[in-house]
Amino acid sequence: MLQCIFLLADNGAVILEKQLTGHRVDRSICDWFWDHVISQGDSFKSMPVIASPTHYIFQIVRAGITFLACTQVEMPPLMGIEFLCRVADILSDYLGELNEDLIKDNFVIVYELLDEMIDNGFPLTTEPNILREMIAPPNIVSKMLSVVTGNSSNVSDILPGATASCVPWRPTDVKYANNEVYVDLVEEMDAIINSTKQFSLLHARFRDGVLVKCEIYGEVQVNCLLSGLPDLTLSFANPSILHDVRFHPCVRFRPWESHQILSFVPPDGQFKLMSYRVKKLKSTPIYVKPQLTSDAGTCRISVMVGIRNDPGKTIDSIILQFQLPPCILSADLTSNHGTVNVLSNKICTWSIGRIPKDKAPSLSGTMVLETGLETLRVFPTFQVEFRIMGVALSGLQIDKLDLQNVPNRLYKGFRAVTRAGEYEVRS
Amino acid sequence: MAGIRLHVISPLVLVAVGKCARDPSVFVRKCAANALPKLHELRQEEITSAIEEIVGILLNDRSPGVVGAAAAAFASICPNNFTLIGRNYRNLCQILPDVEEWGQILLIEILLRYVVASHGLVKESIMSSLLCIESSHSEKDVFDVNVALEDNGIPSRTYDSELVNLVSRSYIEGLGEYLTRSSDTNARSSDLNGARFTSGKTNDDVKLLLQCTSPLLWSHNSAVVLAAAGVHWIMSPKEDVKRIVKPLLFILRSSGASKYVVLCNIQVFAKALPHLFVPHYEDFFVSSSDSYQSKALKLEILSSIVTESSISSVFKEFQDYIRDPDRRFAADTVAAIGLCARKLPKMANTCVEGLLALIRQELLTSDIESGNGEADVLIQSIISIKSIIKQDPSCHEKVIIQLFRSLDSIKVPEARVMIIWMVGEYSSVGVKIPRMLTTVLKYLAWCFKSEAVETKLQILNTTIKVLLCAKGGDMWTITRLFSYLLELAECDLNYDVRDRARFFKKLFSHNLCSQVPEETNALQENKDLPLVLVECIFRKQENLAASEPINDRFYLPGSLSQIVLHAAPGYEPLPKPCSSLCDDLGQFSNSIDRTTALGEEWTGSSSNGTDDPDTSGSLDEESGSNYDSQQSIPGLSDNSGTGDSASEGDRNCDPLIQISDAGIACSNENGASHSGFPDLEGMMSKRALESWLDEQPGSSSPSASEQIQVRQSSARISIGNIGRQVKAKSYTLLDPANGNGLKVYYSFSSEASTISPQLVCLETFFENCSSETMSEVTLVDEESHKALDLADLTLATTASSLTSQSDLPTLVPMEEITSLEPGQTMKRILEVRFHHHLLPLKLALHCNGKKLPVKLRPDIGYFIKPVPMDMETFIEMESRLPGMFEYARSCTFTDHLGEVDKDTDESSLLKDKYLVICESLASKMLSNANIFLVSVDMPVAAKFDDASGLSLRFSSEILGNSVPCLITITVEGKCSEPLKVSAKVNCEETVFGLNLLNRIVNFLVESSLNT
Repeated sequence: MLQCIFLLADNGAVILEKQLTGHRVDRSICDWFWDHVISQGDSFKSMPVIASPTHYIFQIVRAGITFLACTQVEMPPLMGIEFLCRVADILSDYLGELNEDLIKDNFVIVYELLDEMIDNGFPLTTEPNILREMIAPPNIVSKMLSVVTGNSSNVSDILPGATASCVPWRPTDVKYANNEVYVDLVEEMDAIINSTKQFSLLHARFRDGVLVKCEIYGEVQVNCLLSGLPDLTLSFANPSILHDVRFHPCVRFRPWESHQILSFVPPDGQFKLMSYRVKKLKSTPIYVKPQLTSDAGTCRISVMVGIRNDPGKTIDSIILQFQLPPCILSADLTSNHGTVNVLSNKICTWSIGRIPKDKAPSLSGTMVLETGLETLRVFPTFQVEFRIMGVALSGLQIDKLDLQNVPNRLYKGFRAVTRAGEYEVRS
Repeated sequence: MAGIRLHVISPLVLVAVGKCARDPSVFVRKCAANALPKLHELRQEEITSAIEEIVGILLNDRSPGVVGAAAAAFASICPNNFTLIGRNYRNLCQILPDVEEWGQILLIEILLRYVVASHGLVKESIMSSLLCIESSHSEKDVFDVNVALEDNGIPSRTYDSELVNLVSRSYIEGLGEYLTRSSDTNARSSDLNGARFTSGKTNDDVKLLLQCTSPLLWSHNSAVVLAAAGVHWIMSPKEDVKRIVKPLLFILRSSGASKYVVLCNIQVFAKALPHLFVPHYEDFFVSSSDSYQSKALKLEILSSIVTESSISSVFKEFQDYIRDPDRRFAADTVAAIGLCARKLPKMANTCVEGLLALIRQELLTSDIESGNGEADVLIQSIISIKSIIKQDPSCHEKVIIQLFRSLDSIKVPEARVMIIWMVGEYSSVGVKIPRMLTTVLKYLAWCFKSEAVETKLQILNTTIKVLLCAKGGDMWTITRLFSYLLELAECDLNYDVRDRARFFKKLFSHNLCSQVPEETNALQENKDLPLVLVECIFRKQENLAASEPINDRFYLPGSLSQIVLHAAPGYEPLPKPCSSLCDDLGQFSNSIDRTTALGEEWTGSSSNGTDDPDTSGSLDEESGSNYDSQQSIPGLSDNSGTGDSASEGDRNCDPLIQISDAGIACSNENGASHSGFPDLEGMMSKRALESWLDEQPGSSSPSASEQIQVRQSSARISIGNIGRQVKAKSYTLLDPANGNGLKVYYSFSSEASTISPQLVCLETFFENCSSETMSEVTLVDEESHKALDLADLTLATTASSLTSQSDLPTLVPMEEITSLEPGQTMKRILEVRFHHHLLPLKLALHCNGKKLPVKLRPDIGYFIKPVPMDMETFIEMESRLPGMFEYARSCTFTDHLGEVDKDTDESSLLKDKYLVICESLASKMLSNANIFLVSVDMPVAAKFDDASGLSLRFSSEILGNSVPCLITITVEGKCSEPLKVSAKVNCEETVFGLNLLNRIVNFLVESSLNT
């Protein structure tokens, strides 16, 4: 079981330490960890499970903050990692975002949360809705109150009703004046697009991309504001396109197995009902055509972006990001639309926003290679981000949402959005 | 309340928890379950059974929340108490999907263990089907047909099944058995064939478990998914295993950290049953946001699941990866291409073409400044080509020639070496190559001077190889070239090159002198030489071929051990199939078990004759104990006889004595085996291993197991060595200058007093340095002298006096030395009771009628006596002495430096540095305190020179009141530098513990030169 949790800032300093069992874990483990991070660089940081001389360390990194959990005995490693992810999610949920200062400002709440989430090294309550009932999220009023009254605890005195009910994720007595339920389909498109031919490295290339892999990772997010103990049934028009699914614990497995229907008693508020994957999609909404030519120590780059298959809605917040290869000394990049930024760590960001009607946005420029290097042999991968509101590119459609045990007056809302996930274009 | 870790209140807490466990409120019951592990951690034997009872009650609960918490409690309190599970099995399975996610993870594992233990493995599952192969061939055939149908005939089927076999075995067998088995697989293979299997179709329990876990494959907690997948992997029938594939691949989409863990597990699955993942190869395509580790794992999985249908698209991917900016990854890709080509020989040509193109392209742009990455890619591609060519040299003639041609432009020495090696190796392949040889060799001779050392050596080797195969007209040219090369090499700056050249020159002296071998005697000479050379050449080749790593180790899917690739503390393999049968079958199976166990025993003892370090464990013990007893007897006689300072022999034997204990225990077990001990051989091997690993690295702690295997022989030496190194320190009691030529010195002995356990034994030596005979030498305690009547000093009265004045240091009167000749040394054993007084004890030495005051300085290191114990007891006791009973200090330790330096000098006898440190630390400790060495932990996966994490544990108890006193020494720092050593003492007697700690630190800091 977990023995200790540390939160490290991005300079290696311990922000927070939470001992979980009687066996104290010394802070020196963090020094050990950080020494190795410094000496081995990022590859060490991306190791989720590390065997140190005294402990096994699980680590995840979120928003520059490293979450470490230590154990000395055998335990399922995913349990540790998953728990840390939960902690990170809940903290960022409570604090709005994650950064060192916010955590330091809200020490009390963070400790209270950890106290509730884990006991004696074993995860206890990780359901965000219940945690929210037990520990009030920080806001100005509560801060004022604590300053005035000197009572700094945000822990509510009453036990959330859910802990005792047979539906542990839902409080027993929820009352809303307006009964509403919103179902959102949030999809992320993962794609790998190749735009080159094998080993034709010295020559100019300008080819239409080859789709190596294209799939959708989607989530059904439900925001449920219903009184009482509602029982919902959600069915899809075309469930057969779903490749894999994963469910929130509230979903009953049997109806899904037999009829592919989601039947569930929802938690209160926002939650992720299910996630799914749709594989082998045939087309992508936009194209990115990178072209790199290099000759005599300089390299010319030109990237064009355009709409391939119009999804019917506008595609916005298009951002193109790529890491310049290390052999490039300097780059001079300009674009006819949007802004281009080259950061010091050679990450180049081109934010396009919306594609204008009259012209195709393009980025062009020259890059100077390292001395002695004639041509470029390693090529950057372009990561594309975009967002399409109102469309689920997988084609998944919600058929209907039936409700039982609910008052008659209620509002049902559906929304869909598609974003780019790991959308990559290889040059 | 359970969080208050106080022993005193634990019975009260237990009562409270017991009440709460029957509370009507779900939440209260849940909290009660949560409190149980905390109670258990206090480790009080008397309440353990009560705790287990409560766990049983809670497991029977109707509410899922309670069951989840109870499962956690069960896992930490009594993971092997399967009767508790058996009672509630059905209920647990039914409730499983509703249990909260964290409880599910543990509950799944518990249920799996229970099912394996009570019903054995499932006949239709992959685990068992492969185990059956050895016993029943008919079944194997059926199975193979099945598999062949399923996976479209993957060629390397036999290898896979072997691998699965290995995997499943390592799931069941623990570390100890693994070590034993790896040395002789055959002797052990019968073990698992004895395991009974049950049919998944007929056994309801198994069916129920699979049914209940399958919805969990859709859980949104990836840990639950992996745990459920593990159950299906082990238990479900072959045709159903594929249902775990999609969920596993889906959790790859979750966070980067869990992606790595899942990939680690998939890698094992994919190696064992590639056909499962064949249709999903696209999921393993690398995306640029993956971490390097994930990328490497994906590559490995891809190359193990690739088939002829998917190879083309996989290759296209690989070509993209080669252009990745991360050159390390690019090099890995090249290696993966080589692997694929070896797996699918049909693709070899395409691969080689691609690789050659890559090399050409590398060459066109290659320059040394572009960093190591490029060189790595180049080297790796040549390695890959080489491995492909090796499979079938004759059809790759053109490739070889192309490589020769590119020799001119390849600058990286390693790459050149490999190509030059190929020149020699394939010199007789095909038609064109032999014709090219002279040109190539001329070129090599021409550039010999400017080459790197390794290349030079390789050129020499190659020339000889070519020379051996050469015939006809070329012979003369090559011989000339060779002698030219030799001359060059003899004047080389590097020793190795010169040596090699001289060596060859001697070998070929005949050949070279006669220039053209026409004479008959030269021919005769030639016959011998090729033999020698061919041998040496072939040995070389073998080394290269053996570079394939196939020593993967496998642990249960989803376990921590599988990720870090060594058994983490607390890792337990699956229970022995059917180890807990509770029905009628039980009796029967027990008897079978017994017979197999006996058989096992037999094989074990019969294999003792071999010189294998692993199997002959028990023999070692016996011999160890023999040796030990022999040693201790002469040691004693030495003491009384010659009277020189050989007494330390006894103390040094402490570690050995423990071994002999274990040996006796084992032999007792042997005797007991007839009365039916089902798990005998498990106990046996574990015991044996533990006991004689005691003195050597990484016995019970995480450490790379391969190391253990390698070092076992050397580690055994270390026991003896420590024995020799341990030197008791001797202190002077009386200087000859003060004592009219009488010199008295003493040393603390580890012997137990015969009179009372509270006495410390001192070996006191009286040496007459004067020229006159001394008489009536005796030592008395001044104060007790006053108090007691000297006349009736008998053993009985001393004993009573000891009890009567228990506050004062007491000296048991020693036997008077009536006369001491000049130069003679007499030894007497003084028995003193110090009562933990650290002040010097004032004694009066009577000699020749005169009285000389002397001071006896006590050593706190000998106020304790060794208590043999094993690792578990040590840890347990340590955990009972936390907080205020624990004291730690650190210091620097330099003793080992001399040893380490010495070692580097004698490079022939390279001893492990860790061992040196262990030895010096242990001998230092043992020679300064009367303690028992419990275990030595070696650092985990440390860097070569890094000794951090090394720790030694010693146990002892205080003489007077038998209060245990535990010492832990932890090392930090580098082997070759002064180490930072932190010593920790756990002892209930605070003052004593602190004093002891100070003493330990003091003598650790003292350099060994002083002693």
